Amino acid sequence: MNPVLNIFILFLGGAILTYFAGRINKVLQSLLFLASVLVPAFLFYTQLSIGQSATFSVDGITLNWSLNYFGWLFSLIVLGLGAMAAIYAVSYMKGKQRLGTFYFNFILSIMSMTGILLSQDLISFFIFWEIMTWSSYLMTIYNGNKVQSIGIKYFVFSAIGAYAMLMAIVMVHSITGSFLIKDLINAYPTMQLGMQIWIPVLLLTGFAVKAAMMPLHVWAPGAYSNSPMAYTSVFSGALSKMGVYGMTIVFVTLINKIPQGIWFREVIAWMGGITAVIGTLWAIKQDDAKKLLAYSSVAQLGYIITGIAIGTELALLAGLFLAVMHALFKGTLFMVVGAVEKQTGTTNFTEVSGLIRKMPWTFFAALLSIIALAGIPPLGGFVGKWMLYESLITSNHYLLVIVIFFSSTAAFLYCYKFLFGFFLGQEEKEWSHVKEAPAAMVVPMVILSLLMFVLGTFPGILLSPINNGLQALGYTDSYKNLWETSVILNGWGNHVVLQPILYYIIAIFLFFVVFLTLKGYKNTRYVTTKDISSSGEIPKEDENLTFSENFYQPFFRAVEPVMRRQIDKFYKNLGEGLEALFEFMRRIYTGNGQTYAIYVIAFVVIMLLFGNYLLK
Amino acid sequence: MESVLYNILGAVATFLLAFVVGMIYGGLNRKITARVQNRKGPPFYQNFIDAMKLASKRSAIHHGIMQHFGPAFIMVSSVMSLMVVPVLTHNQWFPNLNFHGDLIFLLYIMVFGPLGMALGAGQTGNPNSAIGVTRGLSLMTGFEIPWVMALVALMIQYHTTSIVDLMNVQIQSGTWLMFSSPFAFIAAVMAMLGMFRYSPFDIVGAPAELASGPISENGGKYLFVMMSAGSVFAFVKLTLYVDLFMGGADNLVILLVKTFVLYLIPVLYSLTTVRYRTEHAIRWFWGWPSFFGLLAILQAVFFK
Amino acid sequence: MINDKNSQKIVDIIQNWARQHSIWVLAYGTGCGAIELPPTMTSRYDAERLGVRGAATPRQADVLLITGYLTTKTLKRVIRVYEQMQDPKYVVGFGSCTINGGMYYDSYNTIKVLDKYLPVDVYINGCMPRPEAVLSGFAKLQERIAEGRAEGAKKYKENLEWYRANQKKIIPNWVMPDYNW
Repeated sequence: MNPVLNIFILFLGGAILTYFAGRINKVLQSLLFLASVLVPAFLFYTQLSIGQSATFSVDGITLNWSLNYFGWLFSLIVLGLGAMAAIYAVSYMKGKQRLGTFYFNFILSIMSMTGILLSQDLISFFIFWEIMTWSSYLMTIYNGNKVQSIGIKYFVFSAIGAYAMLMAIVMVHSITGSFLIKDLINAYPTMQLGMQIWIPVLLLTGFAVKAAMMPLHVWAPGAYSNSPMAYTSVFSGALSKMGVYGMTIVFVTLINKIPQGIWFREVIAWMGGITAVIGTLWAIKQDDAKKLLAYSSVAQLGYIITGIAIGTELALLAGLFLAVMHALFKGTLFMVVGAVEKQTGTTNFTEVSGLIRKMPWTFFAALLSIIALAGIPPLGGFVGKWMLYESLITSNHYLLVIVIFFSSTAAFLYCYKFLFGFFLGQEEKEWSHVKEAPAAMVVPMVILSLLMFVLGTFPGILLSPINNGLQALGYTDSYKNLWETSVILNGWGNHVVLQPILYYIIAIFLFFVVFLTLKGYKNTRYVTTKDISSSGEIPKEDENLTFSENFYQPFFRAVEPVMRRQIDKFYKNLGEGLEALFEFMRRIYTGNGQTYAIYVIAFVVIMLLFGNYLLK
Repeated sequence: MESVLYNILGAVATFLLAFVVGMIYGGLNRKITARVQNRKGPPFYQNFIDAMKLASKRSAIHHGIMQHFGPAFIMVSSVMSLMVVPVLTHNQWFPNLNFHGDLIFLLYIMVFGPLGMALGAGQTGNPNSAIGVTRGLSLMTGFEIPWVMALVALMIQYHTTSIVDLMNVQIQSGTWLMFSSPFAFIAAVMAMLGMFRYSPFDIVGAPAELASGPISENGGKYLFVMMSAGSVFAFVKLTLYVDLFMGGADNLVILLVKTFVLYLIPVLYSLTTVRYRTEHAIRWFWGWPSFFGLLAILQAVFFK
Repeated sequence: MINDKNSQKIVDIIQNWARQHSIWVLAYGTGCGAIELPPTMTSRYDAERLGVRGAATPRQADVLLITGYLTTKTLKRVIRVYEQMQDPKYVVGFGSCTINGGMYYDSYNTIKVLDKYLPVDVYINGCMPRPEAVLSGFAKLQERIAEGRAEGAKKYKENLEWYRANQKKIIPNWVMPDYNW
């Protein structure tokens, strides 16, 4: 049988078996779950070769699946992070309720993402997209709390995206008579201008929702923070990258082919920049680690979108490199939050503090990911940031580079807040019982953070598949022009040689750490965090000296005018306005519709009206 | 093997030079401050004595591993930026990493220091330290904006992101960039006021308010390493400005003259002003300095 | 090499020289004497030319200045601050009150002889001692540091039990972390 179909069958069968295995034995269920994620992932890399394809016919519609280099690149994110998160999840979910649902949806998400990457026609793409949306929706309401406010918000926005995408697919079919992506790409440059604008706009809307681009990002903080953390690392790390995957294809194969594309590119690039700034500012304000990381995901995806929208080869390399890096560090960070949540029961910075000596390995993973997130050499984030800046400067986006730079400087604030809030600061008596997370949770985190370390010095390992992927989309080979194994270059011929930098950094760091440790080793002693210079006062054991409330007050006094406007409030007002309208309608037609149903139906109606007008 | 040894020797020599010059500049700062206040002031080598005393403290305390890592991170940041910035124009003696990193790399390695200090300060658990850190990081979002604007202006005007190339531009044309890109220079110098953290931007240390902020739990060897890193970093910043805007320096004497003249700007400015609140400091940088930065970019775009 | 006696002597001389010329003072203003410090530090008398300089926290400081009378309530804090300072550290008793109680000789809530609670290296006599006297006190301290005789910390460590007994006599509810250098 065809290996592509094999993989899908394994995923699907594994999901169903895992779901029912819970009734027999929990351990068996966990093992089945691991097997049904890891085995298909293993098969994917051993059995599938580039160009491998499969078809599947239902009712006269043929679904085409095939693997190309670009899909293979994203499969690294989906299956790599997915496998790590799966190992993590088994330990994280131990003792939780409704394990079957969790495992089922987890596997289904991985399967649907793999399916998206393999799909070569719009129908199967859309089907997998919907499976992905549904499984992730069920995960966001898995906890059973805040279903109304968070689940529905996510669902409504996903529905907006999905219907936009469906509209685009219908329009494409009516023009080309085919569902194949290949045909769309071929036919696109010869379409009339209206279609040339509307198809990308609708497709981009669909993708932008998943990539949490401003102004469609409002669902993200709630949905990311409400799902179980083991899933959120996939949700934020891999699932949002599907939006990036789609956007890249739309940009590279459609928009860049027409002269008007420059407007698209500029607008989306700026929206990416603004997303980055707003996401960062809100991330700084959060007191909850999950929310902080969720907003930070929004911001980081802003960089990625900017890079992809700029569309020069360096910018695409930067965007895709950042996409993979984001999957690595944000996946790790959400795992860290999960570990802290599991061990302490809370993720609020104002409650937890001083875990560094209790959870050293978790801290190690968090530290490396935060350094990568902040973009500081020698970790991988730096390479992506460097390429992004260079691509912005060399492609004449002078103001955008300032915006992006502001966002990434301000990102230090929340980076520090994350580390300080959980791991540094006062060691309170309340948390003295906390132990390091189980090995099954720590190992995936540490593996991922070591990967970031390697990629920071040898980005060529990752840039070579990215390069292959871009070549599959029609770009030229950029090896030696823009990157080598451990050298990165910009379009002007300037470069950063990473290998000697790493050696210097390690040498300096080790020298001074050894110096500080060994000098007067016998007369250096450890004191607790209660033994601090506090004007001679002796803090009592249970006295709380942690500084975590209103952490960045002066900063917010400075940026207050920007923060006053909330896009969330706008949607809320809009929703309230619509509700008032529906209230009026409900008085005419006495019915008792659920809120989300009304949203969805209204949206269908609007889209259909809109589409008829367009298609006339 | 020989080249490795040569590299190490070069790096150590550059480090020692930066250490000595930075320390002396710090001492001169105290001397100048004293003279302006009509005092005799400490000798110019006072900082060496202080450093030596700190290094010869017999005992020390630490609150955990990050207190060892923090100063080491600061040192990494200082020394790495020193390695990237060319000290002299025709720098065949100690090229270090001049050709391996560019301005964007420098920007990022320079902010590693504050983050390292923040991590070290965080572990001590002193609330004053944490407050100082939040102030420092907030201040950074202020002065980085005009500073990056100035750098972007230079980069787009001369189509390069390399410091060595920008120095070569000045040698070839014969004019310093502070004259050909005056707005960028103004913005960069204004940003430098914040980088040095002298008054009115001494909100991080703020002895009377925060008990010296992030370093309040560090004494002895830890403070010694931080102080050395600070001195090296001061030298790096001044040398970088000389390289970018004042045509670099052919020999050490010219370098010292130029850096000292530049150093007088933050020193003298600090004597005439009192401390800002954090939010005022941030907004100050987003005001006129950023305006000049914008002018610099406009100049670079339209008058290439 | 360092263990060799003669080279140790040279190292000691250099280190003592550095300690002598860099005195960071933790001005813990216990009593009225603190008012004499601003003139000592500022333009008129300029103590900074001797290397004397303020330090913000006990971790960085070398000298603990007990400026005047010391109430029993403050004593606890002062002991705490002293124990948080890093070796080598010096105590300067400032004003008559630290010597024998001064004008508070019969007060019920001040301590009389500071040396019973903390190892004082140098006393500065006077009530108040003028800035000149303070400077001469610092000069005396420098002299003693250079000679290697300002070893109050060592004395404190060796006679800790005696000091503790005295301190506990004054401070009834003793809740202090152990001093285990």
